[in-house]
Amino acid sequence: MFNIHLSDQNIKRTNTDYIFVGAVFMLVLIGTISVMSAVSGTALGAHVVRTHMIAVPAAFAAFFFGWFFNYQVYQEQWKWLYAMIIFILILVLIPHIGSYQRGSRSWISLPFFSVQPSEICRVAMILVASAYIAFNIKRIKEPLVPIMVFVIIMPIFFLIMKQPDFSSIVISFPVLLALLYCAGVNIFYLVLIFLFGFFASVFPLAWTYIYLHPDITAQSAVIKIFYGLSSNAFYIFIFCAAVCLFTFLAGVVLRQFRIYIPAFLLILVAGVIISGFAGGLFVNNKMKDYQRKRVEVFLAPSSDPKGAGYNILQAQIAMGAGGVLGKGVFSGTQSRLGFVPEKHTDFILAVVGEEMGLWGTLTVLALYFIILWRIFLIAYNSSDVYGYLVCSGIFSMFFIYACINFGMLIGLAPVAGIPLPLISYGGSNLAASMWALGIVQSVYSRRITFR
Amino acid sequence: MEKKIFPQRLYGLWLLSLVASAVIALRLADIQVIRHNYYKEQSERNRTQTIFQAAPRGRIITAEGTAVAQSAPSFNLYFFPGKNNSQEDYIQTLAREISAVIKEPQEDILAKLKRAVKSGKASVIEENLASSYVLPLAELQVHYNGIYLMEESKRTYPYDTFASHLIGYLGSMEGRAWRDRDQSLDYRLDSKIGRFGIEKKFEKYLKGTDGGLYLEVDHRSRLKSIIEDKKWQPGADIYLTLNFKLQRAAEEGLKNSVTGRGAAVALNPKTGAVLALATAPGFDPNIFVPYGHEETEKDRKEIKEFNLAVQGVYPPASTFKIITAMAANEAGKLDTERYVFCNGLYDAGSRVFKCWSKHGNVNFWSAMAGSCDVYFYGLSNYIGPAVIEKMQRQFMFGLPTGIDIAGERSGNLFGPTRRAKNKTYWFIGDTLNLSIGQGELLATPVKMAQFAAALANRGKVLRPYYIDKIVSSSGAVLFKGEQEVLNEVKVKPQTWDIIFKALKGVVDNGTGRAAKISGLDVYAKTGTAQNPHGRDHAWMIAFAGRNGQEPDIAVAVFVENGLSGAGVAGPIVRAMLRAFYNIEDEKAAQKETGVDEGTSRLRGARGGAAVSAETQLALKLAREALAAEKEHAGE
Repeated sequence: MFNIHLSDQNIKRTNTDYIFVGAVFMLVLIGTISVMSAVSGTALGAHVVRTHMIAVPAAFAAFFFGWFFNYQVYQEQWKWLYAMIIFILILVLIPHIGSYQRGSRSWISLPFFSVQPSEICRVAMILVASAYIAFNIKRIKEPLVPIMVFVIIMPIFFLIMKQPDFSSIVISFPVLLALLYCAGVNIFYLVLIFLFGFFASVFPLAWTYIYLHPDITAQSAVIKIFYGLSSNAFYIFIFCAAVCLFTFLAGVVLRQFRIYIPAFLLILVAGVIISGFAGGLFVNNKMKDYQRKRVEVFLAPSSDPKGAGYNILQAQIAMGAGGVLGKGVFSGTQSRLGFVPEKHTDFILAVVGEEMGLWGTLTVLALYFIILWRIFLIAYNSSDVYGYLVCSGIFSMFFIYACINFGMLIGLAPVAGIPLPLISYGGSNLAASMWALGIVQSVYSRRITFR
Repeated sequence: MEKKIFPQRLYGLWLLSLVASAVIALRLADIQVIRHNYYKEQSERNRTQTIFQAAPRGRIITAEGTAVAQSAPSFNLYFFPGKNNSQEDYIQTLAREISAVIKEPQEDILAKLKRAVKSGKASVIEENLASSYVLPLAELQVHYNGIYLMEESKRTYPYDTFASHLIGYLGSMEGRAWRDRDQSLDYRLDSKIGRFGIEKKFEKYLKGTDGGLYLEVDHRSRLKSIIEDKKWQPGADIYLTLNFKLQRAAEEGLKNSVTGRGAAVALNPKTGAVLALATAPGFDPNIFVPYGHEETEKDRKEIKEFNLAVQGVYPPASTFKIITAMAANEAGKLDTERYVFCNGLYDAGSRVFKCWSKHGNVNFWSAMAGSCDVYFYGLSNYIGPAVIEKMQRQFMFGLPTGIDIAGERSGNLFGPTRRAKNKTYWFIGDTLNLSIGQGELLATPVKMAQFAAALANRGKVLRPYYIDKIVSSSGAVLFKGEQEVLNEVKVKPQTWDIIFKALKGVVDNGTGRAAKISGLDVYAKTGTAQNPHGRDHAWMIAFAGRNGQEPDIAVAVFVENGLSGAGVAGPIVRAMLRAFYNIEDEKAAQKETGVDEGTSRLRGARGGAAVSAETQLALKLAREALAAEKEHAGE
């Protein structure tokens, strides 16, 4: 069906995938230059450069650790790994250990720098989920396996939400879905999980929009009742009953057409919709105002030109002003004069675009593409299912990171506060990403076993 | 091997990433290449803020070198909104502080500040600040971020109403005007532009190039560096051909006339240069200089932009008899010594035409001097209307003079050919009306001045021009007004002699005595245009030279509803000639003319006078008439 044997010729005898390692090093180099350019001359310049100079060696250490450490150990010891994740995430929630910065308690302060455990957990979560799937790979078609994966991961999500660090959830949930997809889970179950996620996100989105535009409730009673769903217990009960009734009727009607659907499937659909709705209710009630603002900007970017939409606009001005060749490193006016916000983290690509031009942004894109390509090949050539699954998870992670970050800058995705791994400033993210890439390299080096 | 089924799914994701990369790459190319220029401009606009300094407009200078419009330094208060000075309470405080200094209502200032914040651009808060406010405001500028005191230049018109219709005024830019403007001249929405007169017409010369401070700012509008401090380039000076004293005299005369509405135009008959172009009532262009001040708002609305001198068309009345006489002489049918008896009526067969007085026996000279209608009725009936129309065409009646003032009207030519074009009939009554300049004949005051100038220079119809030269700030002459002969009236030299003699007779012993000045040869003709809508209009055209010399001034004065050419327009002409020749006003001269300003009794007074003066000498006739008039005036 697919001719995927081309990969056999590309990866042969070496222990090191030089293309992959080269691309990773190039990205870190470009990232370091961009971060320094973005912060030079600003008040936090010295701090950022100092932290970054600690983070880069640490990141390489993590990369080589991931590379030389046998990845199969993660599979064997996944319960310990899981316990460690939970332990760290609980640790960060303890007031005197976890420090409270920018509205969330997601940092552990160390003498010279602070660590964001949720970043590391994001990678570890892939390892844990992959391990569970790999052990149960023969029963992968049963619905129990994906459900168990979610049951295992749910405490991690819950703890991350406690901080709260929504952007980690935004990344991790699709990564998990993609991982299950790559593992070969029945697509029907994935659709159900997707539906759950869909309902859990669409309801809060719509409610937030109405919350921020109270005037539209006056236009129509339907909108008012819909908004009432978010708080009124009676409406919620009616909604759940309506879903149940609807699925029951759907089953009856389909039976008339001689289409027999197992009853448990219908119950599953209804259950997924209702639980998705319940999840949405939960998310909606937990949402902070600044997060609502972000949703607002996603839904109507032009509505608040001086607010968050302004950020995207300024980032695009920066990129557009760069042109093909860019204004030259250390001479972008948009970022240096402070028009681009978060210029060294989420909007680092705007700095690349302004100072290095189209060639800079295309180079970053191409390097990402090369990394994804090599991960794909390494996954194909892995010696065991676990290696394949870990590579798939990391592939999805980088893919989703890049898509959201690029998409945000070019106006196709919401401003989610997602950094661009390897480029953006952020030691934990960089180290975790490098660790993940090291694990991929480890899968490559150990594709032939000599046991 | 069982794992072989999985890579197909990862392969799907891999293909998806391929598509995503392509989409992202295309969009990046769109932003960074296709829309590069737009974003580059945006980025520059982000980076720079400009505080403009309006360049001093060019001066407008009369022939003697008196600047009648000039630019004086003035201080304007600007607000320069930024992120750290746009908060509600900050603006409130600022508005309170400013209003305490400049004594304006706090709400007004607050509204202006809010507008500035909304637009995000540096905006004017207060213009033309009094000098006493400048120091306190300079102090405020130190304490409060965002306000700037800028020196700019302000237009002033030191002689208030002087030639107001000619010079015009400045106004704020309206949205539409801004779009229509030549963008290269760097207009902004708060720029002042010429809205009327010379200020409008020569805007591009007067404007100059604005200077400004080009600042590099950060996202909070904090100053990072000064990119450029551009000095303004003043606009070009416009030198008019106007004679300051003459213009003043004309305006005074019109202002003090019976109705205060009228026009006076003086030309140099040798070149066509406009020596005076006065329209009354005038206005004070200074009231347009400040903007947003309630007290001048009403005055501004009341201003009449109607420039009577070039836009008002009226029948030239008796002044037109000159053309009738010239036409008759050209046709060889004028016997200057032939007497006609005027009993105040002329029987045209179907209708009786009236003369304004009973002149008794008149020949050509006395008919001109006393402006006898009956004489010209007869004459025109004798020569026919066609030759009169032909002579009109020679003097280019019915055509604009080409003085180059917006809205100039052409007036109306009257004659049988014109009638034939309109496919209507010509009656004998039309001929009679034409001979005394009534009927459908219409002319503007400037047209009549051109006519007077053409008489004075014996036949050259000149285009009046009022711009002597335009000199740029660097001294280069950008434009030079030059003599332009539109047409040469071809008549026998003897015709000119007759006309000169007759017009001199009008001044020496006829209706134009008011313009008689010792030491000058003054030639004039008065006119009283019948007005079916109200009181008659007063006309007088004249030209003069020093004794025995060529004429060097030609004047046309028109007073709307003035009733009497001799009594109302005459003194104005006299005052103008005096001003032009620098002749001191002697009280004796006033008595000699015996015409009080604003009299309107001529018509009634002459009735008895004409009967008593049956002498055969034209000179005597006029003198007697004058004596009689004095008697009546005494009653």
